Amino acid sequence: MAAISLQQRQNLRMFLRILLQSLRIRKSRVLIAFCSILIGAAVVFALLSLYFDISIKMSRELRAYGANFFVGAAETGQPTLEADVYRRVLEQIPATRLVGASPYLYGVARLDLGNAVLAGVDFTGLRRLSPFWQVEGKWVAVDFDEEHCMIGRALARNMALKVGDQLRVFKRETGFNQSLTVRGIVETGQAEDDQIFVNLSLAQKILGQPGRINHAMLSILSRDFDTDALAARLKEQLPGVTAAPLRKVSYSEGKILEKIKGLMALVAVIILAATTFCVMTTLVAMVVERTREIALLKSLGAENRSIVRQFLIETGCISLAGIAGGMLVGFLLAQLLGQAVFGAAISFRIAVVPLTLTVSLVAALLAAIMPVRMALRIAPATVLKGE
Amino acid sequence: MNKVLEMSGLTRRFGAVTAVDGIDLDIVAGEWVAIMGPSGSGKTTLMNLLACLDAPSEGRYVLDGVDTSRLDDRERTVVRREKIGLVFQQFHLVPYLTAQENVMLAQYYHSMTDKEEAARALAQMGMEHRLQHRPSQLSGGEQQRVCIARALINQPAIILADEPTGNLDEQNEEIVLDIFRDLHRQGRTIIMVTHNPEMGEQAERVVRLQHGRVEAADPTPVTP
Repeated sequence: MAAISLQQRQNLRMFLRILLQSLRIRKSRVLIAFCSILIGAAVVFALLSLYFDISIKMSRELRAYGANFFVGAAETGQPTLEADVYRRVLEQIPATRLVGASPYLYGVARLDLGNAVLAGVDFTGLRRLSPFWQVEGKWVAVDFDEEHCMIGRALARNMALKVGDQLRVFKRETGFNQSLTVRGIVETGQAEDDQIFVNLSLAQKILGQPGRINHAMLSILSRDFDTDALAARLKEQLPGVTAAPLRKVSYSEGKILEKIKGLMALVAVIILAATTFCVMTTLVAMVVERTREIALLKSLGAENRSIVRQFLIETGCISLAGIAGGMLVGFLLAQLLGQAVFGAAISFRIAVVPLTLTVSLVAALLAAIMPVRMALRIAPATVLKGE
Repeated sequence: MNKVLEMSGLTRRFGAVTAVDGIDLDIVAGEWVAIMGPSGSGKTTLMNLLACLDAPSEGRYVLDGVDTSRLDDRERTVVRREKIGLVFQQFHLVPYLTAQENVMLAQYYHSMTDKEEAARALAQMGMEHRLQHRPSQLSGGEQQRVCIARALINQPAIILADEPTGNLDEQNEEIVLDIFRDLHRQGRTIIMVTHNPEMGEQAERVVRLQHGRVEAADPTPVTP
């Protein structure tokens, strides 16, 4: 037993000596293979990290493109809802899921130079719901502010209004007649450009609809959240109410996520293929360079499995070092991408480590197949013959 | 007579070309045989067959009691490392290993490395002061002595030398010849392929090849 262990120890020492010396004298080629694997592993690590975070991050990003859930009056009922319904709807949605929401009450009011559509909203919710609105000036910041309004860009142009100007609002039916100060001018490129926005409570006074709203729009993080079930629950619990996810928006979100994930997978595959090819050509060059050495080892009695073992361990050592470096670089790369694309850090996920290790090692081993086969085909009788 | 090597009808063909053509030859233990002949006579092919680096197309080759003719590649490798010591014209040392490590390399593939034994083998070649030198730091003669030490380290049944002095100057040629004379005196079996008539003269028996056949020489061993 002791003799076996001595033999193993002695031979292991010799094997390590051959391995280290062999790698040391081929520094440039080893460095090329190391860098190739490092780059491949870094990209795989970064993309896998992004892949795991992207659903959450993209979902938040996509919520910047507007509401994806509608609550309104059922067709069979009244055209408006009680504002209290809106409050009860919000209670059904976890706070962490709700990006933004606003009730809407619409009506026509008379302004200084003509009629315009007046919308009563919750400015705080609307701002979260529609972060893409271009606003000159400021948003109405206080919920009970009944002295300021925001107006659409087209309406401001038609009435020659600018931020800070006074605007008189009349409503004959309710006898409302009050001047409001333009706090901000909004531009959306849509119907909002022709509208005037006031706080919901003020709109209810102007339009004579106390405690009423037409509908509400919500922006919900829909990843892993069943908005269809929410709609069904709301319809069941709140008679006279219709609720539905905005299919087009939700569907588009899913499609975009799928496409981005597909693109990431494609980039990872291309980079891995390039890595494999680069490592393979480097290893082939190393085999060609070592033809005489391999032939000599065979002539001294090295069996094919010894040659394979030596090559795989050499490749494995280079690969493991490259993968370890690649993971570090990949994590930094993921942070860069996370900041650049989502403005947020990408979490370290332990699952990415074994995945990157496996994928990169498989790529490196695939790269070693052809060089190893070349090494096995080397015939010492041909290579070592005298000249 | 203790035959260490027996060939009968040994033939090697490459397509339509017959490089070794039905050679019958026996070599007894402790004999020094020189295989000579002009270029293209089949010396190298015969050497490869004897070294188990190649398999015959026909015929039988028994080395130290093992019929190698029917062995596969892996089995021939085992025979080679157990029974044959190879000395090359171009030395073929691993450039990144020291002289001692180059000798230990043969031990490594044979059984177990032993630094002291490798050092002793090199000392027998007069290389005790060069143990830690790499091949690039050694002269041609010194490299060939490392190569011979490596060939001897596992106590092979035969030593096969292919033009062992082909790349050496006169002085180193003499040193290497002295080593072979010593090995012969010690009872080693040496088979040497050479163009060099002086080297041939050192051998007990010369086997001359022509067109892949044994020409003129008596294939019967002369030394019991």
